[in-house]
Amino acid sequence: MCLFAALASVILGAMTKEDDRERWLYGVKVFAEFIVIGLALGWLLYFIPW
Amino acid sequence: MQAQEVAPTPGNAWMIGVVAWFIPGLGHALQKRWIRAALMGGAVWLSFFIGLQMGGHMFDLSAAEGSSTLLQVPPMIANIGTGALYIVSWLLGIGFADDPVQAARATYEYGNTFLLIAGLLNYLTMLDAFDIAAGRKP
Repeated sequence: MCLFAALASVILGAMTKEDDRERWLYGVKVFAEFIVIGLALGWLLYFIPW
Repeated sequence: MQAQEVAPTPGNAWMIGVVAWFIPGLGHALQKRWIRAALMGGAVWLSFFIGLQMGGHMFDLSAAEGSSTLLQVPPMIANIGTGALYIVSWLLGIGFADDPVQAARATYEYGNTFLLIAGLLNYLTMLDAFDIAAGRKP
């Protein structure tokens, strides 16, 4: 999941925004969102029995 | 209300787009965007080979047992995004096996996802290279 998030955020970060600083920040933000949402969904599905 | 004039897309941009699709990263490299080429192309190549290493399976029009050909089309479109990587793998028969032994691997579904994502990310990379070549992006 971390690897997937890293690869996707590299591309999403590189192709958006205007300057390098914004790209870095956006890439890090997307990476964090992937991880947090992935973990949240994982725990949510863990408690759903079907 | 006046309609905005749209600048015509240079023919070169279409060629860059095709090249960017065919060899991930080459579209940016041809425009001397070395860092973008390395980052974006590298992510696609890495995702593709990680997917293969995990035992992932790519899709073509041959229907799996109990499945229709039509259902193979959407994931196949995603896989085709990797361009030459897909074509060469298809010609060599690498990554297209769909036997129960391979499907039983713990990383099989992860591999599938990485292969799908490699293609989809390359579509984004291709569009980025096209936009740069067309002068729509700095």
